Amino acid sequence: MEAESIPQQVQENIEKVETADLVVGVLAELDEDGLVAIYDAFRTLPGSPRITILRDDQALHLAQTNSETTEKSISPNVVPWPLLRLDTPGLSMVNISAAYQSVFAASETFGARACCVIASRLESETGWARQLARLLLEEDVDLVVPYYARHKFEGLLNSSIIAPLTRCLYGKRIHNPLGPDLGVSRRLFETMLAMERGTRGTGNRVHPLASLAPAAICDNLQVCEMYVGARIYPPTDWTNISSVIAQILSPIFLDMERNAACWQRMRPSVSVPTIGDPVFVSQDMGTVEINRMIESFQLGNRDLQEIWGLVFPPSTLVELRRLSRLPLGQFRMPDDLWVRIVCDFALGHHLRTINRDHLLRSMTPLYLAWVASYALDLETAGPKALEQRLEHLSVAFESGKPYLVSRWRWPDRFNP
Amino acid sequence: MWDQIKQALTQSTARFLARFADLLPGMAALIVTLLFSILLGSILAIIVRRLLGRIHFDQRAARWGFPTLEEGSPMQSPTLLLSQAVAGLIILGGFLIGITAFDAEWTSLFAQSVLGYIPNVLGAALVLLVGTIIARFLARSVLIGAVNLNLQYARLLSVGVKWLVVVLAVAMALEHLRIAPGIVELAFGILFGGIVFALALAVGLGSKDLVTKSLERDTQKAPAETIEEPFRHV
Repeated sequence: MEAESIPQQVQENIEKVETADLVVGVLAELDEDGLVAIYDAFRTLPGSPRITILRDDQALHLAQTNSETTEKSISPNVVPWPLLRLDTPGLSMVNISAAYQSVFAASETFGARACCVIASRLESETGWARQLARLLLEEDVDLVVPYYARHKFEGLLNSSIIAPLTRCLYGKRIHNPLGPDLGVSRRLFETMLAMERGTRGTGNRVHPLASLAPAAICDNLQVCEMYVGARIYPPTDWTNISSVIAQILSPIFLDMERNAACWQRMRPSVSVPTIGDPVFVSQDMGTVEINRMIESFQLGNRDLQEIWGLVFPPSTLVELRRLSRLPLGQFRMPDDLWVRIVCDFALGHHLRTINRDHLLRSMTPLYLAWVASYALDLETAGPKALEQRLEHLSVAFESGKPYLVSRWRWPDRFNP
Repeated sequence: MWDQIKQALTQSTARFLARFADLLPGMAALIVTLLFSILLGSILAIIVRRLLGRIHFDQRAARWGFPTLEEGSPMQSPTLLLSQAVAGLIILGGFLIGITAFDAEWTSLFAQSVLGYIPNVLGAALVLLVGTIIARFLARSVLIGAVNLNLQYARLLSVGVKWLVVVLAVAMALEHLRIAPGIVELAFGILFGGIVFALALAVGLGSKDLVTKSLERDTQKAPAETIEEPFRHV
């Protein structure tokens, strides 16, 4: 971190710590007991590595004020870190990106061998955190990504686009490439910091969550997955879903531009090493209401033709029109259609066909149509059917890669 | 008497020839200026055509909010239209400079007033261009936002917003051109107010049933009937 950009309070905290082997950035809302449990898990690592936990100072102060325990129960290695302050519950990717960069920068400053970020609340105990640290410090893994236990209607953006697209582009079967709970080696976080410095002030700024997995794969670094149990997802704000889609997909599509030379080399996908024991959860999610999503798609099909027509070939528009006329019971979006939609939007984003924010927000009705179709497919399905469904989608993405590559290389050959 | 007539004719012919001879340098200067401006205009037109061809201006014009440009262009090519417009402006400029060479007060005043009006024309063109771009951007934002909020009158809102901005831009452009300012102001007020009133009625009347249903639902819904949404996206 450049000296002139570090606040005074942070400077003082840096001087207190000096060095660390592992830096842990805690972004999740953990209480004091949770924090202590994590630190205790790390303390049992062989070799007694020096651990520093960074935590938003406001939350830390609140925990200390409200708790009946005294200040002595917090280890001196838990450091108030205002750069991790996350302002509002509905965080933007920019805020989250800044928090991750802050952890990387602190790790570089402390000379750490690795860092990890704990960003979500999990239903399981904190034993996975110890396992993650061991992989980074002893097994020399560069990137540890989580493998959350799958609920069929949770993590839908990841299931529908992010994971299968990463598999298709980079040839690695990573189930949660965007984490958010991640372990990163020194090699990798230094690469991310260098990339961030190189793109500062440009329109193609690096977002660590979107760029970590692709950067690790393209540099042939060691990547592995770790079973971590079920994640507690934040509730959906239906009025804000288009913003969520735009904020998450934009850095992913920007990263595709940056790594075009890497992903355009054809390769079949392979699994990454997976550590730990899988956790299965109940798939009973109760009644699902999809009428609103289908209505949203039908409205989008009626009113957004002028925008979709700038991105899609005529065949896709015809298929979407046909889909919008299907009755509720027969509403199914074929996987190859969804793959072409995602590829065309990625290309439209790359070519700046229209304003990028408009482009991604106009994808919302199409995404909701996929969710509705997926919900109808899996309403009464068990875990095995869920895995098969998602594997089918991933294979469809891999089959659609030649389409993406040819349109990316020769966009003028077809121009709607 | 015949001698007097002959003398009068000779004198008037001499005056005419002298006057014509006075005009000759001015005409020569005008012809030279015109030839030079035609040459310069042609060269600039070629440069503009090549530059616009390189950025595929014909394909992008519709996407940028100017679909009618293609229809109104010669050979349906906005590039050709713009390059010819540039050449025409250069030639007009050359003509105005050329007529000032006649050393007559009225030609100088004419040239000055035309040249003085050009900034107004350019300002009006710029206002129209920026207004059209902003109108298109805002219309698209409103359309996408309204569709994502499941509003059935999304297209109406989008068209209304677009026309509001276009009407405002046209009124500002006409004010720049100093064309019937009083009438334009009144017409703009009526038109703008009419569009806003129509939009308010459409939104108010259109959502009347929605508000009624929403209020009925709130009063009738029992707490136990709430179904928790199972979908989580991130």
